[in-house]
Amino acid sequence: MFQKVFLFNGIGSSYEKLLAKLPPELNDKYSYYYEIACARLGLNKDIEKNLGYDSKIAQWLVPFICDRVIYEHFICKGIIPDIGMGYSSGIVSASACFNAIPHEAAWDIVKSHRSMLIALDEAHEELDTGIIVGFSYDDLSELLNKEFSPEDLVIGSGNSAFHAMISGKARAVEKAVELCIKEGALKAFRLNTGTAFHHSIMKKYSLEYIAYCDDLKYNAPEYPMMSVFDFSVLTTAEQVARENQLNVYTQMRWDLALKELEQLGATEFFDISTNGSLSKLSRVGRKCKIYTFDDIFS
Amino acid sequence: MREITNEIKAEIKDMIFDYYAEECEVDKASINDNTNLQDDLESDSLMLVELIEMTADKFDLDIKLQSIGKYMLKTPMNTMSDVIDMFCKVYQFGNDIVEQ
Repeated sequence: MFQKVFLFNGIGSSYEKLLAKLPPELNDKYSYYYEIACARLGLNKDIEKNLGYDSKIAQWLVPFICDRVIYEHFICKGIIPDIGMGYSSGIVSASACFNAIPHEAAWDIVKSHRSMLIALDEAHEELDTGIIVGFSYDDLSELLNKEFSPEDLVIGSGNSAFHAMISGKARAVEKAVELCIKEGALKAFRLNTGTAFHHSIMKKYSLEYIAYCDDLKYNAPEYPMMSVFDFSVLTTAEQVARENQLNVYTQMRWDLALKELEQLGATEFFDISTNGSLSKLSRVGRKCKIYTFDDIFS
Repeated sequence: MREITNEIKAEIKDMIFDYYAEECEVDKASINDNTNLQDDLESDSLMLVELIEMTADKFDLDIKLQSIGKYMLKTPMNTMSDVIDMFCKVYQFGNDIVEQ
């Protein structure tokens, strides 16, 4: 029986927004971890002072450190998860917080994305992601399948009954956004990420990431994890390793994974992000509640 | 078309003001018909979805989000007055709001 679920945030929210929501009481801990991570990765602890690819890595590190600080705060408050689930790179955060991998490895994984950014630049591949609000997964699939091949565009993540992330070639993402607006999306916009996370095209650009995940020694997680790829409960080192390996280039279904958790008895969901970003895009049944950090901290 | 009374209109307006006051953490008294959704409240589309779901539940409406999206293409939602007007039309016309 899994009653309490911890939801781990991925890369996505701007680091400024995440840090703005971090209460002063937790700032010291955040700064301490961030400084150690920067020293390990050869980054400047002042985000703005990092240049080029380092700037991106320094920004991407922020949600990982925030997740850790908040996770530890929840544990200190006696809120213990029965299971956890990560949204995209939140899988890495969950793996680290649940001791399946060391936090240092999670930071190294962030740094391994540097080679992905370089490879994308060298290939002159223009990729992007976008957000579509107002279509169910099936309606959106039907609409996009008529216009785009999976090589050009996929739904990177079905987030809820009305929210999805699309991913693929930049031109296709742009056209899909225009199409969705015309067809009644409440909101549709490009994220201008320069990457196509959760599209198979990313596999060839993520070789360092994949190699790192392959070589990493995983432990069985302290608490089980729910797979956002096949909705199985992950309890072994091998299963968590696979979840991490699939990440980046595999389509995910956050919405179905949440449903599966409800089927398994989950009623209390805890959004581990500082700004409640997961609670906004997720939907759970009437008998369930998603608690944000604000709910717990106040 | 469903008839809408002044009482229902007032109820819809009150519900919308309550909702945005709570979601955007502002004093309800500071919200009026001219309050701008983005500039004054920094609201987003996810808040609108939640309000649509809430309204559909409260008034037992069957409304597709795309119908509202298509209506919004013709009639952008800028101020609270626009939102109230749209929700009154949702109450009256349901998915036929697109034709209004």
